[in-house]
Amino acid sequence: MNNINWGKYSKPIILVALVVALTVLRGTTFLSVGNIANVLWSVSVIGIMVCGTIFVFLLGGIDLSIATLCGFCAVTVVEVIHYFHDSGLGLFVGILAAIAVGALAGLFHGFIITRFGVPAFLVTFASQSIFQGLSMVVTNNKIVSCTAPAAFTAIGSVKILGFPLPIYFMILMALLSWFVLRKTVFGRYVYSVGGNATASEISGINVKRVTIICYVLSGVTTAIGGIILASMTQQAAAATGSGYTNDVITAGVIGGVSLLGGEGTVPGAIFGAVLMGLLNNGLNLLSVPSTQTGLVKGLVIIVAVAFDAMQHADQSRKKVRKVVKKTAS
Amino acid sequence: MKRFSTALAAVMVLTMFLSGCQIQKTVRIDPNPNLGSTSANGETAVSNKVRKDPYTADQIRIAYVAHDLGTPNNQAWLEGIQRECASWDNIQVSAFNGESSAETQVQIMGDIINQHYDAIILQCSDGTALAPSVAQAEESGIPVITLNLDADTVHSALVMAVDYDAGRMAADKMAEQLGGSGKIGIIQGVPGLHRTDNLEQGFRDTIANYSGIEIVEAQSASFEKETAITVMNSFLQSHSDLAGVFCINDAMAEGAALAAESAGKGGQLVIWGADGEKDALAMIESGQMSGTIYTNSWDEGSTAAKIALLMIGSEYSYNVLTQTPQVIMEPIVATIETVGDIAAEDRW
Repeated sequence: MNNINWGKYSKPIILVALVVALTVLRGTTFLSVGNIANVLWSVSVIGIMVCGTIFVFLLGGIDLSIATLCGFCAVTVVEVIHYFHDSGLGLFVGILAAIAVGALAGLFHGFIITRFGVPAFLVTFASQSIFQGLSMVVTNNKIVSCTAPAAFTAIGSVKILGFPLPIYFMILMALLSWFVLRKTVFGRYVYSVGGNATASEISGINVKRVTIICYVLSGVTTAIGGIILASMTQQAAAATGSGYTNDVITAGVIGGVSLLGGEGTVPGAIFGAVLMGLLNNGLNLLSVPSTQTGLVKGLVIIVAVAFDAMQHADQSRKKVRKVVKKTAS
Repeated sequence: MKRFSTALAAVMVLTMFLSGCQIQKTVRIDPNPNLGSTSANGETAVSNKVRKDPYTADQIRIAYVAHDLGTPNNQAWLEGIQRECASWDNIQVSAFNGESSAETQVQIMGDIINQHYDAIILQCSDGTALAPSVAQAEESGIPVITLNLDADTVHSALVMAVDYDAGRMAADKMAEQLGGSGKIGIIQGVPGLHRTDNLEQGFRDTIANYSGIEIVEAQSASFEKETAITVMNSFLQSHSDLAGVFCINDAMAEGAALAAESAGKGGQLVIWGADGEKDALAMIESGQMSGTIYTNSWDEGSTAAKIALLMIGSEYSYNVLTQTPQVIMEPIVATIETVGDIAAEDRW
């Protein structure tokens, strides 16, 4: 019994424990398709964004601008749709424009970080104000409603097999991100650069290029998140997406992604997002007063992160034992 | 005696001035202002106010310090202030964004006082935190007019939309639409804010008079439309027989309406907000929402600007007051029957 590595199973254990607790307390309501869809829908934008931002985390970088960039991309798609008189063409051009904005923002971050050696923290901290400012200028700091074309509102709300479309986008993005990180050379480069940039450089990896691509990917997924968010709420404003930086980082950290780089997986990050969604949903279903939700959320997140830390400590101990054993022999 | 005459004259002018405004307002003023020269804390206060004539060539600078310039309410107030001052080239209005932070507002207030602005129109993020800054501004001779949330110190004027009464009115009309019975939920903002807490209290106290109506849920969506969609979905999962929901602001009511539609219950639930934004009014017209408590925020901003100009042009000073005069904007209960009465040019 003592040989079982509980830390290794920490994520499924936490998830199952939470699901069991909520099932016992709110049985049929919690397990209904509608409720599960609600939980996944509520974290779909965070999930989509973390699928790209994880590349930056794995490098040991950070992107503090995702919330305001998400808002600016939402504003872009809505404004372009209005420019084309709420037409289907407007939606098509708007989506392309928003993704281009996200990619350019990522390119800008990557370029400044690699060309001038400015820490990612500072670059993205500064650019978050730029994106928010741009949103304010474009919208004149007002909320811009957008209820047409129907295809636009459908992106955030239409249901397939009882589940809203954003959930499928999240799953698709997670699969793509997982594939790139696990099955491609580029993915291995990302882990390598995040683990040790200098060693990666010496071994022939173009660290600068990898870094720039990672920031571009983060920008693109942020843009997709912004488009979906605008569709969900049928509006965009400078404040759209506010708070998402914290949510995405929290989802990543809960999911075991190391902000120092080199460690973390897409399923882990998605787990983090889903855990946050389950937690919010559970608190709502249990009618926990809003004055107490912060307290409960904080405690559960600490438990989740502690479990994950336990897993890492276990792994480190085993590695040390191995090295000691080898040295002794 | 001179101070008494000045105070009395100013109060009379203020009352007459405001009674001329288009939308009905209630003016609450100190019925028996302290005739001496003592301030609220009992200390002798000397006015540093310099009288200027805002309607001639005197250069006038008015600062508007918003809680969060990105919200429709704060924007509408700004537009109201700008419209009021637009006729005079010598009046300059500068807007400052408090970014939902009392600390930022305190910093901004310090800068404005140092730059000797002629008047400040302020929506406090926190009435207690801003009180020293407001007092400092008034002592420096800069009249401060607060919007919606009072500062915890005596100052020139407070222009406010109804809060407790808005909740009361929404509850009565909602109960009528529900036929006096049914399960309802409340989607709250951020707990601890004076105005929205009062709004909710007014709603709860009134709905308690209807024995057939039961409040089965109350959750926060932090004033956000997107979060309100999730919260409303949870309500609908927990209570398939939910008949209605009262949201503390319109953005959340719009989110609740979208969630109801997504669940196939569009138009079947009684959904109420409490601001009167143009998007909410459009949703009432289309049957997606049931009602809201409308306040003309443009007029509210314009009223604050009128008072500011009046203060700038008079010898009236805050230190003759024992409590802050209040101007209360008259609300309109907007439902499908009444929403048409709100003209397009009054929709903010």
